[in-house]
Amino acid sequence: MPVLPGYIRSLFKSAPQPVFRVTGAHLAELYANAAETFGEMPAFATRRNTLQWEPVSFRELFERGRFLATGLIELGVNARDHIGVLGDNRLEWILADYGAQLSGAANVPRGRDVTDDEIVHIFRHAGVRIAFVETSELQDRLLNLRGNLPELREVILLDDESDPRKSVRRLGDLIERGRELRRAGDREVEERIAQLRPDDLFTLIYTSGTTGEPKGVMLTHANMISQLERIPLDVSCTDRVVSVLPVWHIFERVFEMLAISRGCCTYYSSVRTLAEDMRNVEPTFMGSAPRLWESIHQRILKRVKAAHPVRRMLFHTAYFLSHYYKESVFFLSGCSLRLKNRGLPQSGALAFVHALRWLILLPWYGFFNAAVLENLRLVVGGAFKGSVSGGGALPREVDQFFNYLGIPVLEGYGLTETAPVIAVRTPENLVIGTVGHIIPDTELRIVSLETGATLYPDGSREDLGRGLRGEITVRGPQVMKGYYRNPGATETALRDGWFHTGDIGLVTFNDSLRIVGRCKETVVLSSGENVEPAPIEMRLCQSPLIAHCMVVGQDRKYPGALIVPSTEGFAECGLNGISLEELAASPDVRRRIGAEIRERISAQHGFKAFERIHAFTLVAEPFTTGDELTSLFKLKRHIVSEKYRSKIDVMYEHTGTEP
Amino acid sequence: MEINQQLLNPVEQGLLGIMILIIMFGMGATLTPKDFRSALERPRGMLIGFLSQFGLMPLIAFSLAYMLKLPPAQAIALVLIGCLPGGTTSNMFAYFARGSVALSISMTAASTVLALIMMPILLDLYASGFAAQVDASLRAAGDEAGFAMPHANIVISLLLVLVPVAAGMTLRRFSPDWAKTAEDTAGFMTIIVILFLVTSALIRHSNLFVLTPWQIYAGSIGVGLAGFLFGFGMATVARLPPRYKRSVSLETGIQNGPIAFAIILLSFREPIQSEMLWLAILYSTFIVVTSSFVTLFYRRIGKTDWEIYRNNLVHQRLFGEDYRTQYPESAVGKTDQR
Repeated sequence: MPVLPGYIRSLFKSAPQPVFRVTGAHLAELYANAAETFGEMPAFATRRNTLQWEPVSFRELFERGRFLATGLIELGVNARDHIGVLGDNRLEWILADYGAQLSGAANVPRGRDVTDDEIVHIFRHAGVRIAFVETSELQDRLLNLRGNLPELREVILLDDESDPRKSVRRLGDLIERGRELRRAGDREVEERIAQLRPDDLFTLIYTSGTTGEPKGVMLTHANMISQLERIPLDVSCTDRVVSVLPVWHIFERVFEMLAISRGCCTYYSSVRTLAEDMRNVEPTFMGSAPRLWESIHQRILKRVKAAHPVRRMLFHTAYFLSHYYKESVFFLSGCSLRLKNRGLPQSGALAFVHALRWLILLPWYGFFNAAVLENLRLVVGGAFKGSVSGGGALPREVDQFFNYLGIPVLEGYGLTETAPVIAVRTPENLVIGTVGHIIPDTELRIVSLETGATLYPDGSREDLGRGLRGEITVRGPQVMKGYYRNPGATETALRDGWFHTGDIGLVTFNDSLRIVGRCKETVVLSSGENVEPAPIEMRLCQSPLIAHCMVVGQDRKYPGALIVPSTEGFAECGLNGISLEELAASPDVRRRIGAEIRERISAQHGFKAFERIHAFTLVAEPFTTGDELTSLFKLKRHIVSEKYRSKIDVMYEHTGTEP
Repeated sequence: MEINQQLLNPVEQGLLGIMILIIMFGMGATLTPKDFRSALERPRGMLIGFLSQFGLMPLIAFSLAYMLKLPPAQAIALVLIGCLPGGTTSNMFAYFARGSVALSISMTAASTVLALIMMPILLDLYASGFAAQVDASLRAAGDEAGFAMPHANIVISLLLVLVPVAAGMTLRRFSPDWAKTAEDTAGFMTIIVILFLVTSALIRHSNLFVLTPWQIYAGSIGVGLAGFLFGFGMATVARLPPRYKRSVSLETGIQNGPIAFAIILLSFREPIQSEMLWLAILYSTFIVVTSSFVTLFYRRIGKTDWEIYRNNLVHQRLFGEDYRTQYPESAVGKTDQR
């Protein structure tokens, strides 16, 4: 329910304008249409030097992609084959993708940091017969694994500057071969494109996990096309996108595809050169991750600290003003975080206060914005329009910092299984603390964790069930076809077309989605490592000194644990008749449990470095059935995390940010 | 309307003087000798800018004063405002309006120097009639000295104002970091000056805003708006690229208010000084509001051509000087791609 009438709100929001884009029934058609429409405009740019970049045009890219596809077909690639791609962001990766799509095949991508076990499992599971490798190091590794990969027939080296081994082909040679074939009248590619169906896979992405084998997510052309047509971001052919995140993740890939459909040039940067490239490329847009913003945040604060006092004071005044100014603007444009419903009188009073504050701050903000903040914003290049941050939760203070500063950091939400975008904030709808509106044509249901009933949208309630938390489930054109050759996992995740995300969320009263936690057990650290808590907890609870425990650390830098000391265990150690409260407060108990954790969760017992518990806190209340435990003694993780949230926060603050 | 008590007492005049000093110093801190030289590299833009600033604007001011039948003291003030060079405020607005900041800075630099010659000529041309009226009414009231346009004093005031500008430029040469601080301080001081002047005027004459007739409001608001409009029109007729049009327009309408205060304080006497000052105060207050709205409007209409221009700049920087980007008309429409 909007607080202000539309014409007043439009003063604060500019209406999103339709952006020109090309599309197609599948990616092959999209690539062809992009080449036709955008022709000689640059599609991708490769960095040779600080100020020397090499562009490749849409037409040229498509032409070379078609030669490559012709060469691949001659090598024996069939329609709907799975082509392996091992490597990170570079033009040749996109070429390999063009080659796969134009020959009617799908690719199975993985980054340079893939392990040997993963290569074997993925390639065998996906039935990979032809694979691209980026570097000579990767080609050697793959050749060494050949004994385990009986189906693998051809390896193609992407980097034309490295020397291929005897049995390995060079990408450039394959393209040349395709050029000759086409000159001789080969038109296989056109036939393959004509046979492609929107329901065919364009990629098969294996998601990592520490326990169990990786699962292959089947994404179709229709999944990707639906995203490109619906992602509500104002990216056009006059924009510049910088690419740093790994392209074999669907999150970065969707941005590169979006850039192609909008005729916008993607510039390949790297973490090492990013700061410099931001200044020279002046990107208008990029896909980003929370860690990038954390590091820019730190860099700005450091620079402010080092500046002389006058400038420091100007910065603090500017930030103070923009904080309160923007807060009022967000409120008046309906973009404040609304977890509870409000009556009309309350809304009216708040609107009045904010309008007054907005008016008072306007001239001061206007000046400081122009003189101080604009200068600060140059850290991301002078033309930045926004960035979608994904792949983890953005810490609230970082989120606020950039959005109050006027650098729109838009948090998005999605999974590989949803190709990936489910919801995303836009500059017009920037509710800090949420991941924005659901994108068009996607249905959302918030489902009760206990009963499985639909909490939102619930037609019997006036507020439709806004503000109620439960598991996020979605149905829409971006939801995957299923897990490849894994009907069991597919059945668990996809029920009647509804994909169960394993994340807990709620819908705010201004219809934005807010993520509050996970109901799947897996803890994803801020570094992206997946930690399975169950084996760690099992190991810890085997200690006589520990009654219950729970591993936490979602979006933190390292895992931590909540520990309930065992009164019996400590009684046997001589601390007889001492209550749980006293045990939890005792430094001696703390020391002994600390030693126990270090001993049990160690490399000797098979735990990886990122799985070590670097922080723990003692809880003075046992976990009881019905409250923290189900009747089957399974932990209700979201309830425990909610109950001890402040304790967990203190624990991570106390031990600092580094392990 | 007659202001029968001095608008500013000597202490306030002194304070205002210091603030003007800071603002002009800050203005100097934004300029480098290169800005003066590069003015010659954009001869067409500069010529249109010059015609617009010293041709159109004084004519607009005179016409407004004439049509609104302003009292002679205010008429002189309005013509004086029309003849002023540009200030650094216009550079900031040009930046946010997606105009050419380089052209704006060059126009500011060139007009500040040219004003030494142009202002006496233009004032003679447009204000001598009003000056004669003031002279006649003073003599009729028994003032033996009468009134004559203080040309020499105006030139001296202008020269005095240029001293801190030169000092600011020197600072910029030796410490760009401190120069940036001086620039920000000056920008901040511009708001403070306006608030300071409005408050001190209100303390002494609490009902000044009510007493001021509508013609004076119309003149002080209209001169800026007409400057924006005709400046844009002139640049359009001259077929300048879109970002130049926006710069010329803003540069024409936004004048260097602090120089007006300095000239009025240093070259004019009571009884007309306070009345002139009040009009200058009104102009400085309203120009901030009107240029903000005009800037927002320019930002919106200039979105596509500006993005194309920026994109071309980056392409040429990274792909080589000779790189030319062709945008399909289906995507960008009939935008002026210069």
